[in-house]
Amino acid sequence: MKTAIQRGWYFLAASPPVVLVAVFIGFPIAVTVTYTLGHLGGANSAISSIALHQVSSHGRLATFGAYSSVLTSHSFLEDLVATVWVTAASVGLVLVLAWLVALYGRLADTRIARLLTSFAVVPLFIPVVIGSYAILQFWSYGGLVKTLAHAVGLPGFPALGYTLGGVVLAEVWVSLPFAVLMIGSGLRSIPDSAFDAARDAGASVARATWTVLLPMNLVPTIIATSFTGISILGSFTVPYLVGPTSPNLLGPDAAQTFQSFNEPQQAEVIAMVIFALAIVVAVPYLWATYRSNNNAPGAA
Amino acid sequence: MTARRIGVGIGIALLAAFIFGPLLWLMLWAFAGVWHYPSLLPQSWSLSWWRQIFHYPQLVRSVGLSFTFAPIVTLVSAVVCLPAAYALARFPVPGRRTLLVVLFASNAFPKIGLYITIAGLFYALHLMGTFFGVVLIQLLGTVVFMTWIPAASFASIPRALEDAARDVGAGRLRVFFTVTLPLAAPGIFVAMVLAFLASFDEAQGTFLVGVPNYVTMPVQMYSLVSDYPPQAAAVFAVLLSVPSVALMLLVRKHVLGGALARGFELR
Repeated sequence: MKTAIQRGWYFLAASPPVVLVAVFIGFPIAVTVTYTLGHLGGANSAISSIALHQVSSHGRLATFGAYSSVLTSHSFLEDLVATVWVTAASVGLVLVLAWLVALYGRLADTRIARLLTSFAVVPLFIPVVIGSYAILQFWSYGGLVKTLAHAVGLPGFPALGYTLGGVVLAEVWVSLPFAVLMIGSGLRSIPDSAFDAARDAGASVARATWTVLLPMNLVPTIIATSFTGISILGSFTVPYLVGPTSPNLLGPDAAQTFQSFNEPQQAEVIAMVIFALAIVVAVPYLWATYRSNNNAPGAA
Repeated sequence: MTARRIGVGIGIALLAAFIFGPLLWLMLWAFAGVWHYPSLLPQSWSLSWWRQIFHYPQLVRSVGLSFTFAPIVTLVSAVVCLPAAYALARFPVPGRRTLLVVLFASNAFPKIGLYITIAGLFYALHLMGTFFGVVLIQLLGTVVFMTWIPAASFASIPRALEDAARDVGAGRLRVFFTVTLPLAAPGIFVAMVLAFLASFDEAQGTFLVGVPNYVTMPVQMYSLVSDYPPQAAAVFAVLLSVPSVALMLLVRKHVLGGALARGFELR
């Protein structure tokens, strides 16, 4: 009996952030789901009273009218394709760069190597609005990249401001620190002996990395992949400032659908699509953390 | 060997240019008078925007607001999350994994979709356009790492150290404040700095909930980008980066030491 009370106290101590998240994130998500399925009353009545082009379930359990109108729209599909490829390209680039930086930091362990890691972490501390604006200026017409290209006789060099390519660059810039920290921290926890043994047996640095370090550092790599992917899928500021008007990512698309077109229901359908994509990206993360917890000594 | 060193050198230079180039370019703009493409440097230099920017009352007010919200949000977040972080790390909390995953899932839902629904909720609760509403919306963005990172720090402290202190007669509270808390301090510090920056950086939710009463610096930045000359936006951006860079220098060592990375492994 005493332990039951004690467990109750433990649960209570751990609950404030969860309660906060449940009330102001969990509950709104549940309400959002009912709204996209056509329930316009109750908690949705405030927002639905000002919305345009709503689809109502008229008392039935659900209607997929809002989903079908969004999912069949041409501009949405273009934005969906853009979101998927920009996310894939950015995550790929971030992983390659982060691995290079972290690997160099782990193997070289010189002042320059440590300095490089410090460099790569800087964007973590620059507000995203500032970073995006700076990148936009840097890669646009009149930016340093165009200016240098012009100076060396390449006037046709593309300006990447207001393009999806620019969005990829900016997403990489913003996401690099977290991936470097995650992958670097994982690499540091691998003992020298594991890598040295492979080297002594005649493996090249590349081969020893591929066959020893990569498998041993798989969990941090997966964590970096999932978090980077999720944050890019739902990103708003970067594509809003750096990206083109259309097609752009689904984040600004949802914001525009709400703020400019006054269609919150359709905007929420877009948010649900982003959420669905994010869940797909989150699956490897959950799998990896469960697996590493079950393997950890003393895991419950 | 030399070829490899040159290759590494070029790689480092490219990465440095990629990271710092945009920031340096922005710095130049902040001190530019006239600057036309394709000149590599401004044709004339000027400090006039550093003076002018302080003549716009709404800009000055937004600076004050940002520096009001960020510390409040950080403190509230610490009060709400730190006891929970300790409990999750040290006690057999029922449903511990589920709680951690729920926190994680809350992070995966796109913010814009959340804010639209929260707007409806805030209207009903009369929180729209209020100070408390803005604190609440900024708080939501800090909960996950304010719980995870300190929890990992608490969990990484060997219990033997606490037990040793208990053995020589220290009470529970004394052990917590003289052994546990100092050892977990780097992780807590990193989490608080990240919370401060998250609040300082938050624009989308603050825009939706706070406008027109509470326009913080990043919200102001959106209109600066479109409505003012690049010099004004650059000056403002440099100002907005100052606290971030200062805080970065404070926690750099702990962040690079793995205090942040540990928090995301969900142990």
